[in-house]
Formats: sequence, C-alpha cells, structure tokens
Amino acid sequence: MLKKKDSNEDQAQPLTPRRVLAWLSGFSLCGSAIITVFSNFTFIKPRATYGQPNRFSIGRPEDYPTGARIALEGRRICIVREGDQMAAISTTCTHLGCIVSSSETGFACPCHGSRYDQDGNVTAGPAPKALPWYRLSLAPNGELEVDKDNEIEVGTYFKV
Amino acid sequence: MNNHTTTSPWKTRAGLPENVWRSIFRNPLPVSDLGRASTTFTNFFLHLHPVKVHRHSLRATYTWGLGLISFFLFLILTVSGILLMFYYVPSTTQAYDRMLDLRGTVAFGVFLRNMHRWAAHGMVAAVFLHLCRVFLTGAYKPPREFNWVLGVVLFLLTMFASFTGYLLPWDQLAFWAITVGTSIAGYAPVFGKEIRFLLLGDSNVGQEALLRFYVLHVAVLPVLISLLVAIHFWRIRKDGGLSRPPEEDEFVPDGILKASPALAAEASAAVVAQQPARAEGGELPGEQRRYGIQGLVKGPITKAGNVPDRSVFSWPNLFMAELVVFLVTVAGVLLVSVFFNAPLEEPVNIMHPPNPAKAPWYFLGLQEMVSYSAFWGGVGIPSIEVLLLLLLPYLDRKPGGVGRWFSRERLLANSLFLTFVVLNIGLIVIGTFFRGPNWEFVSPW
Repeated sequence: MLKKKDSNEDQAQPLTPRRVLAWLSGFSLCGSAIITVFSNFTFIKPRATYGQPNRFSIGRPEDYPTGARIALEGRRICIVREGDQMAAISTTCTHLGCIVSSSETGFACPCHGSRYDQDGNVTAGPAPKALPWYRLSLAPNGELEVDKDNEIEVGTYFKV
Repeated sequence: MNNHTTTSPWKTRAGLPENVWRSIFRNPLPVSDLGRASTTFTNFFLHLHPVKVHRHSLRATYTWGLGLISFFLFLILTVSGILLMFYYVPSTTQAYDRMLDLRGTVAFGVFLRNMHRWAAHGMVAAVFLHLCRVFLTGAYKPPREFNWVLGVVLFLLTMFASFTGYLLPWDQLAFWAITVGTSIAGYAPVFGKEIRFLLLGDSNVGQEALLRFYVLHVAVLPVLISLLVAIHFWRIRKDGGLSRPPEEDEFVPDGILKASPALAAEASAAVVAQQPARAEGGELPGEQRRYGIQGLVKGPITKAGNVPDRSVFSWPNLFMAELVVFLVTVAGVLLVSVFFNAPLEEPVNIMHPPNPAKAPWYFLGLQEMVSYSAFWGGVGIPSIEVLLLLLLPYLDRKPGGVGRWFSRERLLANSLFLTFVVLNIGLIVIGTFFRGPNWEFVSPW
C-alpha cells in the first residue's frame, strides 16, 4: 500500500479534470460550511431590539423649573435647567453601567465608587470618562425631545 | 413452540428473571481476578475505567478526589437543574414570581433551589482546587499538557455557567451583578461592545438578556461542559492514567513479571481474545496473568513486562473509592442545603441599584480589580492570567517533580503559583468583606 507513490508522484501529478473537479467541489463544500457558521452568527445578533426607544419626548420645558435637576430614572437621564439653559445628562455610569444617583456635589455611583461633578465630569473613582450629554431639541408640538443616539459635548446647553 | 422441546414451556421460562438479568449484566459479581477484569470490561459505565489502576492513583491524599467531586457536583447540578426547569419561566414578568412559588407552593422547591445553588458554588470551588492540585503535583507535565489545557477551559466554562445562572432569579442581586459583569465584557478590545450586545441581545440587561442567559445556562454550556469532560476523562487514560512519580514505575530486577515487553503485549492481546471462552474463575498462570488491553494501548502506560505490578483491580478498589466520593459529595450538598437557604433579594428595580452592588463571590476579586481600572482589572490582567494558565505546560518544560505534592524540584514554580493564588483569594476577601456602600473600604468588625 505505502509505496514511494505519495512522496514523489503526488506533487508532480498533472492537473487532470478529475482533480480540478475534486478541488472545486471541496472548495464549495467548505464554502457552504463557512456560510452556515456565518449565518448562525448573524442570526443571534438581533436586528430589532425590544427595549426602550433611544429617542423620546420628556414633556414641555415649563415642566422643569429653573434650577431643577430632575432624574428620569426609567430613561436613565437627568434633566438639568439653569435659567433658559437645559441639558440631558446620562445617569448610566461610564464605568460599568450602574445607575448613578444625585449627590450634593453632582453624581455618585454605588457600584465602584465613581464620582462626578454637576456637569458629569469625573472627580473620583474608576470611571474612564464623563457622563455623556444627549442632544435636546424642541419638537413641533412644543415638547422637548431627547436623542440618546446623539451625544454632544459636555457643557453644550440647549436654549429654551 | 418448538416441536422438539419435550419439557414444559413453563419450565424453560422459569429462568426468565435470571436470563434478563444475565443479558444485561454479563458477569455475576466477580470472585476471581478474571471476573473482576471482565466485569469492568463488559459494563458500559465501568469500561470507562481501566481494568487495573495504579495504587498511587488511589491515594486519597494525592488527589483528594477533587476531580471526581467536581464531576459529581456537575451531575447533581444537571439533575437539580432539570427539575427546576419544570417550574421556571425565563420572563422578566414571571421569573421572580416563580422563585417565590418554589418557596411557597412547590414541594421541596426551596430545597432543590438550595441544592442547585450550593452545588454550583461548590463546583466553582472544587474545580479551582482541582486545578491547584494538578499544578502543585506537577501533573500537567508531558504527556498531560493538553489535558491541563482542557481543564483550564472547563474551569472557565464552569465560571460562565455559574455566571449565566446568576441572572435567572431576576432579583436585585442578579440584575446588578450581570449589569456589572457584562459591562466588563464591553471593555474587551475591538469586539467588546459587539460581545456585550450579542450576550444581552439589547443595549441593556432586559428580557432578551434573560432569555439568552437561560439558553446558554440550560443548553449550550452544559452540552459543551459534558463534551469536554468526556474528552478530559478519555485523555486521562490515553495519557497513562493519573500522574505519579517515576519511581513508582521503576524496574525492579526481581520483578514479578519476566516476559519481554513484546511478548507481554502479545499475551495480553491473546488473553483479551480468549476471555469469553474461559470459564469463570479460571486463573491464568504466571506470566500470562494480564487481563486487559493495556498491551495494545500506545503511550507511557505500555511498560508491561519489565515493571513490577503495582496496580490493583479497579473492581472493587477504584469503584468503591468513587462510590464513597459520590456519596460524600451528595451528603455534603444535602447537608448544606438543609441548613442554608439560597439568597433571594428584592425583585429587580432598575431605578435603584443596591449599594454596594456585588457580583457573585468568585467574581469579587475581579470586581475589586475593576474598581481600580475597568480595562486592566476586568480584561487585561484576567486575560493575561488565563493565557498563562493555558500555556503553562508549554512554557514550563522542566521535567521532574511530577507526582508529589510540593516537590522540592518545583519550588520556584509552586511558589509563583501559590503567590498568584493567594493574591487572587486576597482580592476576593477584600471585595467580599472589606467593601461597603459606594465600594468604600469598610471594616467587617
């Protein structure tokens, strides 16, 4: 069975139609296997999620008196109003996703002790970056709209 | 009916129970060495074991039975887990109520949940201690390198299985531990956010995450673990049984066996072939006393012929030891489950994280490191540790010191490993007892 055949002749074998066909079918079989695996991975990545929408209305500007710092806990944002300036600051800790609570100096995270100032800048703890600010806009019906897909620079207020 | 039969049909059926029994168990309880060999060899569950096992492998103080304990805890988890599945619904609106039902209406509900919870904690601990045993006895050295790698993967899968199970009660503890845990995954380079999204099926922990964790916990991970455990066991035998010091296999001039290795292998193959024909109880004389196919198995065990026989029959020595370990494990889990209830906190309240929000105890070392730096504590250092563990047998190529606890030849390796273990346990202790609200340092006293 094991003659010198496989060591010498194998490399020198001519490319017969039979061998070409064998290679082609081999490639296509492997290809379909790869596509199967790929489709499985795309399958488990949801295209639509069932959670909350990232763009939502938070009511009229008059609902927020000046000097207010109102946390909309379900939305995971805090609405701040100073005079005619308003902002929507995220209350999801940038460290590991816990919800920060308002403290005298700003925000404090209960999970790993991150601290933020009133504007959401990190003052202590392991948080790697400031709490994001989200774009606020006034919808035609006079209600404020927050867009959580749209992060703006910290300190950019929206004039009501 | 057969016309040639002269006896009454009732007479020939009289042996029915015995005939059924003998068709299932081909051998009666063995009284001879040949019987012990064929009982082990012809029973599906027993044949996973060798017919004979080295005496050194049976020393309780060598293995402490930790691998077996891990496996038996996995069995307990499978059974109790399947039972719990009959009452559990992976839905954010129902999961917590089902936990209360286990308490209030299901017979032995609390007890089964306790068993499942404590066995899970026990398995994480047992697998880790097993890993320590294998390291400290140098058992990962050739030819057992790959089995060590499988073991490390099994350790990680055990942690992951435990982690996915943690979310299912859908209480405050579960929700925030998983929020923190999956955020750590988000810090992995390049694919971090992607992995987190795939795990949660959404951008936050919610219904999708609960369903995904449930599927991972009851289907994907148990199947993966079972498969790897099977390979892990199979490799033990293919790698020549449990590790032991080389002098256990040393040549003794006055050995019991005198046949040349080749002859011995031939003889043992012949014995296998002859076995069914031989009458029960027939002892093979002298040199031919070798029951099994060790002679045919490639690998370090094939030393037949020039080594003294320091092995004993698996029946009853090994099987009795396994039975004892099994019973002790079951009894231990039962005892803990009778006296301690698995915790169940308030139902999930997304608005109010508990303060402090702590992960399960075996992840508290990780959480402690994460409180210094999310990337390095949660991803960087753990990845380096896991990589070092996986590559260990390929990095440490120094032979010697195998098969003994704290061998002097392995002083450096063992000291390094113990430092690493003590550091990690230290972090867990700090995270568990010394961290209070806002993760501030508190004294437990």
